[in-house]
Amino acid sequence: MAAALGFWLNLGLGCVNPKTGGKTILRVATWGGAGDDSEFVKTVRRLRQEFEKQNPGVEVREEGIPGPGEYVKKLLQSFVAGTEPDIITLDASSAAVFIDNDVLLDLAPLIAADSEFNLNDFYENVVDIARRGSRLYAIPGDFTPIVMYYNKRMFDDAGVPYPKAGWTFEDFANAAKRLTKPGQFGFKFVNWMPGWITWMWNEGGDVLSPNGDRAAGFLDSERCQRAAEFLRSLVSVWKVAPSLSQSAAAGVDLFANGQAAMEVSGHWAMIGYKNSPKGPDGRPLLRIEDVGVAPLPSNIGKSVTVMYEAGFAIGKNCKHRELAWKYIKFMTSHRVQSEYNATGIAVCARKDVSQERAADERERMFLALIPTARAPWGAKVEGYETVERAGETAMNAIITGSKSAADALAEAARKIDKDFSRR
Amino acid sequence: MKLFRALGSYLLLSALAAFLAAPFVWMLLVSLHPSKAPIPTIERVVPTRFEEGHKVFDPHFENYKTVLFDSGLPVPIFLLNTVFVTACTVCLVLLFTSMAAYGLTRLRFAGRETFFRMFWLSMMFVGPVLQIPVYLIVRSLGWLDSYYALIVPGASSAFCVFLLRQFFIQIPFDIDEAARLDGASEFRIYWKLILPLAKPALATVAAFTFIATWTDFFWPLLATNSLYMRTLEVGLSVFKNSYGGNNWPMQMAATVIVMVPVLAVFLYAQRYFVRGIILGSTK
Amino acid sequence: MKKSWAGYLFLAPAALHLFVFALLPIGYALFLSVFKWDVLKPNKPFIGAKNYVDTLTDSAFWNAMWNSTKFALVSVPAGLAVALFVAVLVTQRLRGMAFFRTVFYIPAVSSGVAISILWIYIYLPTSGLIASLIQMLNAGIAKANQLLHISLSLLPTDIDFLNDKAWALWALAFMSIWTGLGPRMVLFSAGLLGIPRPLYEAAELDGASRWQCFKQITLPMLTPTTFFVLITSTIGAFQLFTPVYMMTQGNPEDSTRVIGYHIYEEAWSRFHVGLASAQSFVLMVPLFFIALMQERFMRRRLEGFSIQ
Repeated sequence: MAAALGFWLNLGLGCVNPKTGGKTILRVATWGGAGDDSEFVKTVRRLRQEFEKQNPGVEVREEGIPGPGEYVKKLLQSFVAGTEPDIITLDASSAAVFIDNDVLLDLAPLIAADSEFNLNDFYENVVDIARRGSRLYAIPGDFTPIVMYYNKRMFDDAGVPYPKAGWTFEDFANAAKRLTKPGQFGFKFVNWMPGWITWMWNEGGDVLSPNGDRAAGFLDSERCQRAAEFLRSLVSVWKVAPSLSQSAAAGVDLFANGQAAMEVSGHWAMIGYKNSPKGPDGRPLLRIEDVGVAPLPSNIGKSVTVMYEAGFAIGKNCKHRELAWKYIKFMTSHRVQSEYNATGIAVCARKDVSQERAADERERMFLALIPTARAPWGAKVEGYETVERAGETAMNAIITGSKSAADALAEAARKIDKDFSRR
Repeated sequence: MKLFRALGSYLLLSALAAFLAAPFVWMLLVSLHPSKAPIPTIERVVPTRFEEGHKVFDPHFENYKTVLFDSGLPVPIFLLNTVFVTACTVCLVLLFTSMAAYGLTRLRFAGRETFFRMFWLSMMFVGPVLQIPVYLIVRSLGWLDSYYALIVPGASSAFCVFLLRQFFIQIPFDIDEAARLDGASEFRIYWKLILPLAKPALATVAAFTFIATWTDFFWPLLATNSLYMRTLEVGLSVFKNSYGGNNWPMQMAATVIVMVPVLAVFLYAQRYFVRGIILGSTK
Repeated sequence: MKKSWAGYLFLAPAALHLFVFALLPIGYALFLSVFKWDVLKPNKPFIGAKNYVDTLTDSAFWNAMWNSTKFALVSVPAGLAVALFVAVLVTQRLRGMAFFRTVFYIPAVSSGVAISILWIYIYLPTSGLIASLIQMLNAGIAKANQLLHISLSLLPTDIDFLNDKAWALWALAFMSIWTGLGPRMVLFSAGLLGIPRPLYEAAELDGASRWQCFKQITLPMLTPTTFFVLITSTIGAFQLFTPVYMMTQGNPEDSTRVIGYHIYEEAWSRFHVGLASAQSFVLMVPLFFIALMQERFMRRRLEGFSIQ
């Protein structure tokens, strides 16, 4: 029996191993999670199959790593293990950690050698996120500025004018107050630092020093405290936004369910809006034509926002370099990007596709916001994960009232600086 | 008086059982709500819909189909991985630990007690200390993200060696002495005499190893990276981070899918568990 | 010694495994702990005891140790008490006890991930199972107030157990009592069934009450079992990981950042493998001490089994 077992083991470990099986497998890391059968999931699946059909003997395996903070951690682990995917979807907000640890392939030689590929098709400031000198580590796929979404029907019902460029925190708070009524919040707040950092910027503060090496004197500055205080007031004083526990209790997306009038998010939220659940009358709780897009309110005259981008990068030790490059070209091609972005995921980094889609009023607003959008800190600072974790911990304390904004932010700044000093 | 006491006991036990079972019942019911449905209150936890003014039971079994086949995750592969890894681990543990226990109880050799002491001591090394070096050792063997990484580090267990040793000691020694006088080889005695007598203890070891391997989370999380090497437990943990945490019916359906196989084995093999725990405490 | 080679052969696989996956790793971890060993960085300089100094002076580490200690101090005694109570109930000579034993054991064999997701749901404010039960209780209280003309205050239903730092750690502890009940109950049952019945019969003849019997006979006779359960539960409590990873990630405000999770993050999220090794050794000192107590104790019981 022992011999039989050994034989079976060998057989099993050798052949059943899903990594082999005769086909060339192209592993693509994304931050998608388990899907439902939404239009987006179907489109992605169809595009993948199309690539497989064009390249017989190739199987594309999309490997989703969902969850805040999980993506970077798990991918770095796979680089440590030497079992990383071939293609990494590179999020601007964590580009630095991959680039600085030297795990990605420089794509510049591939671009130079390829006459079919033209980098000028893409928005330059989006391309630059993954550029270090003459080296380029990712081809941008799509991107999105963080915007203010609003529900036009709710604004109309409450007789509140739609938000427009130049509005301040106070304008925003007043609108939110008038839009709040039983069963409806003026604003949906989530403790998600990539979203709320813009409030600090629009109050004239920032979380790190200009060269990104320390938080003390910045995250705990008076301006950042004021922004945090403002967010706390929305939830706890004016009660125009659900408390963190109210959001959790609902267990659904309040904006997409027609229970909140405004939300700060990126373009990807449109996927959820398009799939808004149906109410008892059989109609969607949020009609897509009711969704408006506005710049973020600002107290410093000029509204700023942050731009999150998804690019395609290749692992430094990738064994199927040509194939991977072929896949990137396929994914960033005009036709594929047109179909992909039609799902609502983001704004295409290709100028031609974005211009074509600008017929839509919402898309125009996204394009108009590009010049006001900064690259996220994580594109430049390697240990930015720490900052987001500490920031969200502090915000939780501030919102629930367990600590003052001054104390919580000072503590977070100390924690961040200590962590930076360890590197 | 006796009757009252019994009645009281039953009442208490039923209340406790309800407390223990309620979460599972709740989980089953929520998994049958339509996808993306808001969290039901307790009066609405049974999924219903109105039909001609009457409430009718309206289970959405399609959630299970979505999780298994349309989630974009290779859930059937997760399941296969888990079954394969668990089966191999159980077989190897049974073989290796029973051999060791046989050696430790039936054979005499220099250093036997030292070996036993080492097994015994190693049970006290705690997980957090071992995780890093074991990971690095497996990495230098080039096994990460393969079935080897999932199977080999769990292929033997000091706890099971200990457990089997306790049982083997209780098997009368004259049985194998007689066989030895008849000229039987040690392997023959082990295989033909001792193992059949140790069946209940082996079943206990098998049951324990099965549950421990099937539900292990930490090691597969660390040792595998690619989606197609994930086990059910790790693979389905991504459901928690999917849907923005906002699709409870789907999450609960995924949860049920992870739980059912292991519960089935438990219900089938429960008496061995009970025995194993008692043996393990050297009662 | 004719048989000696056979003995080594039989022992070889398990002993080799023990060496590669338990003894060698301990030495390796000790080695790692004196380097600044960041797996992602090419150079890994020797830094002597610095990792240990950093660990011992790190408030985040001690916060995690303290969280684990608090968790153990609450979940272990409470878990033991509940398990003993249940064990006393299910070892009565009544019909259907096997059924109850099975039900009580189920949480312990369920997957940790599934259990964690389930309990996130149970702990949801306002809409979770516990909040729903409180709502039902409140309805009862309101009715009682109305009928009896009293004014008992209603209980809050909007506690966000996992997001409130006053509750989160205790919520995890409560859950662990639920999941840990099965094995502890079985162990106590075994202990209870091993107590000679004549002891009770004699006591009953002397007119002792049930409580007196429990205090004078059951508890003392059960001491070995209790000791065993206490120690394994304590070590288990210090290794808590999956629920924290799945449910709170150490939040809110690090109130559930227990030591198992802290070390995991240090090693696999910040990749400070050397520092994490040092931390795990500092953790192991008290745990090893506890385990040694168990070993000494067990050895005394083991002597009864020693071979000819």
